[in-house]
Amino acid sequence: MRVTKGAQVIAGIALLALGLAACGGQGATGTAAGDPPIRMELAEPQKLFYPGDTIETEGAEVLSAVFAPLVSYSDDKQVVNNVAESIKTSDSRVWTIKIKSGYTWHNGEPLVAQNYVNAWNYVANRDNAQGANSFFSRVEGWEDLNPPEGKPVTVTKMRGLKALDEHTFQVTLSKPFSQFKTMLGYVAFYPLPDAAFKDGKVTESYARQPIGQGYFKMDRPYNKGVDQTIDLTRYDAFPGNKPKFDKLQFKIYTDSETAFNDLRSGGLDVHDSLPPASIASAKAELGERYIDQADAGVGYIGFPLQYNDTYSNIKVREAISMAIDRKTITETVFAGTRSPADDFINPLLDGYRPGICAACTYDPARAKAQYEENNGPKSIELGYNTDGAHKEWIEAIANNLRANLGVEVKVRTFEKFAVLLDSLVKKEYGGMFRMGWFIDYPSVENYLTPVFSTNAIKTGSNYAGWSSKEFDDLLAQGDGATSLKDGLKYYQRADDILIKELPYIPIFYYRVNAAYSQRIRGLKINLINLVEWNKIEKVG
Amino acid sequence: MGRYIIRRLVQAIPVLLGATLLVYAVVFALPGDPVEVLAGDKRMDPHITAVLRERYHLDDPFLLQYWHYLTGLFHGDLGVTVSGGSVSDILAGRFQVTANLAMTALVMEAVAGVGLGLYAALRHGRAQDSLVLAATLVLISIPPLVTGFVLQLLLGVRLKQAGIDLFPVAGLAEGWRGYLLPGLVLAGTSIAYLTRLTRTSLVETLRADYIRTAIAKGLPRRRVVGRHALRNALIPLVTYLGADFGTLMGGAVITETVFNLPGIGQQLFTSVSLREQPVVVGVVTLLVLVYVLANLVVDLLYAVLDPRIRYE
Repeated sequence: MRVTKGAQVIAGIALLALGLAACGGQGATGTAAGDPPIRMELAEPQKLFYPGDTIETEGAEVLSAVFAPLVSYSDDKQVVNNVAESIKTSDSRVWTIKIKSGYTWHNGEPLVAQNYVNAWNYVANRDNAQGANSFFSRVEGWEDLNPPEGKPVTVTKMRGLKALDEHTFQVTLSKPFSQFKTMLGYVAFYPLPDAAFKDGKVTESYARQPIGQGYFKMDRPYNKGVDQTIDLTRYDAFPGNKPKFDKLQFKIYTDSETAFNDLRSGGLDVHDSLPPASIASAKAELGERYIDQADAGVGYIGFPLQYNDTYSNIKVREAISMAIDRKTITETVFAGTRSPADDFINPLLDGYRPGICAACTYDPARAKAQYEENNGPKSIELGYNTDGAHKEWIEAIANNLRANLGVEVKVRTFEKFAVLLDSLVKKEYGGMFRMGWFIDYPSVENYLTPVFSTNAIKTGSNYAGWSSKEFDDLLAQGDGATSLKDGLKYYQRADDILIKELPYIPIFYYRVNAAYSQRIRGLKINLINLVEWNKIEKVG
Repeated sequence: MGRYIIRRLVQAIPVLLGATLLVYAVVFALPGDPVEVLAGDKRMDPHITAVLRERYHLDDPFLLQYWHYLTGLFHGDLGVTVSGGSVSDILAGRFQVTANLAMTALVMEAVAGVGLGLYAALRHGRAQDSLVLAATLVLISIPPLVTGFVLQLLLGVRLKQAGIDLFPVAGLAEGWRGYLLPGLVLAGTSIAYLTRLTRTSLVETLRADYIRTAIAKGLPRRRVVGRHALRNALIPLVTYLGADFGTLMGGAVITETVFNLPGIGQQLFTSVSLREQPVVVGVVTLLVLVYVLANLVVDLLYAVLDPRIRYE
C-alpha cells in the first residue's frame, strides 16, 4: 500500500519535471535548411525602434538596416547625398532638401517630403519625450514645441519646417549652421510613414516592427526582452544600390566575448565591438578579417577651472599633460582598443591634424622642470566614476603623475558618472576629473561647441567651466560659413585656442575593433559606426 | 497529506510578499534610475527626463511606488519596463529556458554525482577513491565563470574548428544541444558536492548493522548495495538535489550570460544594470516561488524514501 502511494508521488513529481522541461519545445527556431543569413552581433537595444528615441548604438544599427538616410558618409570622410538628390543653401540658414523619386516604404506607399516633416515635428515635440529632441533645437520654431517648464505645448509644428512639394522640403534654422548637412545621416533624421502614426502619436506596434524605406524589411515584430534574434529580408523594390544577400539577422548577446567565440566557431559573421580581452586572439587568428579603425570618442582629463584656481596656470596644465604616457596606456591598459590623442578633434574626421597638440607628447623631463618652475600644486586630486571601465587608466595616469612630477595624487571615486557631474556642477568637487565625449554627428564642430563653448557651461558638457570670447566668436563664424570647408577653417582656429589653453587634456581616442567571418568579405563600418550592408559580399 | 500541502502553500504567501518588498527596496537603493541609465554619459534634456519620470512614477516616494507595484500585482499585472515591455511577457518567454537549463544540470548532477560517489564509496580507501576526492576538490575550487569560458573555448570553439560540431558555443539556434555545455558548467560544483555527499553517506550506511545482516543472509552484493544501502543513503542526497534546483535556477545568471541563453538569469543581469525594478522583482519572486516548491517536493519525497515519516 505504502509503496504504491509512494510510487504515485514519485510518478507525479517526475511528470511535473518532465512537463516543466518539455512544455515549450521552442528550441529549434533557426533556419533549418539552406544557407544561414548574414548574422551580426548586437547587444539588446535599450528601447523599441522609435527612430527619434534611438540615441544608442544598438538600436541605431538595426534602424540603419531598415531605413535609408538622407546623406551618407564616403570612404574619404565626406558627406554625400543618399536619399537626398540635392541639399541647397545660400546662407547656411535656409536649407532646401530635394529627395530622389522612386523610394517607397516597405508597405508600398511612396516616400514623400511630408514624411520628413511629420517625423521631425514629432521628435521635436517635448510631450513625445523623444531622446533625440535636442537635435532639432536649431530649427526655427523648436522653442514653441519646447516651452519653459510648467508651460504646456500648444502647437504641433515647427515654423521653420515645411514641405514645398511632393519631393522637396525646406528647413529654416534660427541661426546659420554650416554643418547642418552632416547631421542628416543620423537616425534622428529618418522620415516616418503615415502608417506609423495613430492620433498623432507613433504607435507601439510600429516601433516593434518599423516600416522603413531602406535595404531590409523586418520579418516580424520585435518582442523586446524575449527575442534573441531580429530577422530581416531584403526589400527588393529598393531603388538604390542593394545589398548582395537577401537575409540579415541580428543576434543579441549579453557578453561580447561570447559573441567573439561564436564568430570563431562559425555561428556569427559580423562583430563590431570586440572586448579588450579578445583583441590579441582576434589579431592572431583572423588576419585581415580583424578591423581596427578610428571611432568618434575622445577621453579627457578635465580641470575645474571655473571655481578652483589651483590649475589656472596654463603652464601647469601643460606640464601635467606632458607627464602622461599616452602611448603605453593605450597599448597596455586598453590592449589597443584606444589610441593616443594628439588633437581635440578625432582622426575619424576630415579636419584632424596629427601631432598638433605639442603638450600631448610624453616628455617627463620637461614636464617636471616646467611644473616646478611654475609652482604646480604639491597634491592633486583625480576623480572618476566607477560605473564604467575607468579604474585602470585613471590609476595609470595617477602613477604617471606621481612618478614624473613627484606630486601626491589622490584618486577619488564616484559611484557613477552622474554623481561626478553633479558634484562638478554644484562646485563641490574641485579636483581633476575624467571626462569623455562621443560626437552626435560627424562634424568637427561637434567636438567643440557642446564641450567648450560658453553656452555649454549651462546646457552642455562644459564641466571645466572654461570660457573664451575669441573661441565662441570663431565658432559663430564657422557656423555662419557658407560651406563645410569654409566652416572648417574657423573651427580649426578655435581648436588652436583649446590646444593652447588646455581646459581639458585629451588622453585617448576610441577605436572600433571589429571582426568578420570567412563567409563574407568587404565589411565596411562608416563614420557613425554603422555597417554598410550593400558593400558586403558572400564568399563562395 | 493534502492539508499539509495547502498549509505549506499558504505559508509561502507572506514569504513571497516579503521578498518583493525587500528586492524592491534594494533596487530602489541602487544609485541611478532607468531614465538616467538611458542617458548614458550625456546630459539629457531635463524636460524630457521630467516627462519620462512622471510617466513611470519615478519621482514618487518609495512606499507609493511599491504600492503601485503591489496593486498591479494583485490585478495580475507585473508592471512594464521603461522601454515599454510587459514584465509578464518577458518572464513567460524566458522562464522555460532557465527551467530547461536547470533540469539539464540537475540530471547531469544526479547521474554524475551519484555515479561517482557510488564508485568511490565501493572503492573506499583505495587509490580510485582518493582520485575522485581530489578531482572533486579541484572542481569545487574553480568558479563557474572560469569553467564556463574554458569549456566554451575548448569544447565549443576549438572542437568546431577541428571539424567536430558537437557543442554550440552560444544560444539555442541548434536546439537542445545548446543546453549541454551550460548545463555541465552549471552542474559542475554541484557534481563535486554530490559525489562527496554520496560517498560519505554510502560509506557510513555500508558499515551499519543491518547491512552486515543482509550480507550474512547471503544476499547478492548488488542487492545489498542497491536495495538496502543506497535507498537509505539517498535521503540527504534528495535534500541536496531539491534545494539545489532552486540554486541552479538562481545560479544561471553567470552561465546564461556566458552561453547567451535567453533565460531569466540573463534577464536579471540586464535588468539590474538598467535598473528595471519590475523585472528584477518579478524574476526574484519567481525564484523564491521555485525554492518554496522545490522544498515542498523534497519534504514529500522524504515520506516516500522513509516510510517512518508521515505528514498530517
